[in-house]
Amino acid sequence: MKAGTRTGLVALLLLWSLGPMLWQLYTSLRTPEALLAGAGGLAGGWTLANYGAVLGSDPPFWRYLLNSTVVGALSTLLTLALAIPCAYALSRRGGLLRLLVGGGLLAAAVFPYVLLFLALLQVARQLGLANNLLALCLPYAGLQLPLAVLLLQAAFAELPPELEESALLEGFSLWQRLRWILLPLMGPAVVSTGLLVFLFSWNEFPIALTWISRSELLTLAPAMARIAGSSVYTVPYGAFAAATVLGSVPLLALLLLFQRQIVAGLTQGAIKG
Amino acid sequence: MSALLLMAPALLLLLVVFVWPLLDYAWLSLQAQSVFTGLEAVPVGTLNWQRLLVDGRFWQDAWQTLRFAAVSVALELVAGLAIALLLHQRWRGRGVVRGLALLPWALPTTVMALGWRWIFNDPYGPINGLLQLLGLATLPFLAAPELAWLATVVADVWKTTPFVALLLLAGLQMIPDDLYEAFALEGGTPWQGLWRITLPLLRPYIFIVLLFRLAQALGVFDLIAVLTGGGPASSTESLALYAYLNAMRFLDFGYSATVMLGMFLLLLAGAGGLLLWRRQTDAPQEVRP
Repeated sequence: MKAGTRTGLVALLLLWSLGPMLWQLYTSLRTPEALLAGAGGLAGGWTLANYGAVLGSDPPFWRYLLNSTVVGALSTLLTLALAIPCAYALSRRGGLLRLLVGGGLLAAAVFPYVLLFLALLQVARQLGLANNLLALCLPYAGLQLPLAVLLLQAAFAELPPELEESALLEGFSLWQRLRWILLPLMGPAVVSTGLLVFLFSWNEFPIALTWISRSELLTLAPAMARIAGSSVYTVPYGAFAAATVLGSVPLLALLLLFQRQIVAGLTQGAIKG
Repeated sequence: MSALLLMAPALLLLLVVFVWPLLDYAWLSLQAQSVFTGLEAVPVGTLNWQRLLVDGRFWQDAWQTLRFAAVSVALELVAGLAIALLLHQRWRGRGVVRGLALLPWALPTTVMALGWRWIFNDPYGPINGLLQLLGLATLPFLAAPELAWLATVVADVWKTTPFVALLLLAGLQMIPDDLYEAFALEGGTPWQGLWRITLPLLRPYIFIVLLFRLAQALGVFDLIAVLTGGGPASSTESLALYAYLNAMRFLDFGYSATVMLGMFLLLLAGAGGLLLWRRQTDAPQEVRP
């Protein structure tokens, strides 16, 4: 392919991928009058008032970002704490157990989880977990366990068995072997798995929507849907756009910082899954 | 024995999150639990299932969901392959472009669905702005059934093509370069190489992409809930959204569970068909580099 053609195609790809977000950025900085006057104008009418409106509302928008971050971080920790021992055991076993558990995990990883929300909501009601932000970690960890275990067990399987055998001869306990020998070598796999779990938990919608009703406890995804459904913000969407920009910036930062790890996590999943 | 002990906490949570709900639906689908029963569960036998069989909205939504999933995933495969081929070549700045191209996939679906709602706005969105600039009439993207459907497909393709491209890119990286070199020496063109080498060797990856994407697209919920709300006149409504509305808006929990389970059975049948198709097409011609 000629370099010129390629540059053109890359530009097209970036325009397609980033265009809608750039349009949100543009919209968020325009006054309502400027937006009504016609799309794409550049003269006059620039403002930061939309951001002021979103950040000054009750509860302020940063509250949703904070809630999503807390839930995302805790879900990631819980998932890893449960998935690492399970993945280790799975990678050290052969035969029927591995076939059964592995097959079940793959089926669960593909399963469209939105089907589960009604029953999970009943669990939440029975256990008194509704409107409990931290309780969201339980379904999130459960839903992400299949993918996490599959990714981590592939990473465990790649470590040479001699490593563990010599540690066993030295009298290391299981916990010591995991903590001091195996996990330090699995850094990249743990980080990329954790990032995928974090992204899922940060973005999750149907469960957060049904478990949480108090507005100061909402995570980002249902908060966006509520903003979309409310008439507090009127057309044109200056304030909407400011909210989408604020909701995207943390993920853009995460993506640029950890691009390599996220890509590695996804492609690992493809090869091993 | 200690292996089972290590796996126990994870497996326990998996049972609670995946198996228990399905059993719960199986029980609930045999009950009436709605405002008419005072939200108490009353056994009604197979009444909910009989209703499902003749529920026009369920089958209409099943067809709409299938059409949405088939068209979106087909477009995503083609676009994703093109992007993967582009990102597979060596050029400066490739790493940054890979990261930026992944942005649509990483954003919360509700965030981007809200963004697309504004882009499709009539008459103030940029697409209608462009149409007006060209002297054409604006289009009511979210108010006309066919256009609203098109809007959901465009937004879904925008959001998930990066994921498809990335998985296919992983597959491209497993194909050794000398295969193409040998093929070129024998006089094959790059276009022929795509059909004779790339696509056959990419098969296992295409299968995984199809599996993940079809399952996700058939369960589509967030995107439609925010972009069109299932409208106009439930013409873009998906099965998952219908099940959600049955529970949360019509407060008919027994029937909502039946809809979920009905959808689950349809998915199971689809997955079985896909596996059978893979076994039939893959067996004779598995090529390993």
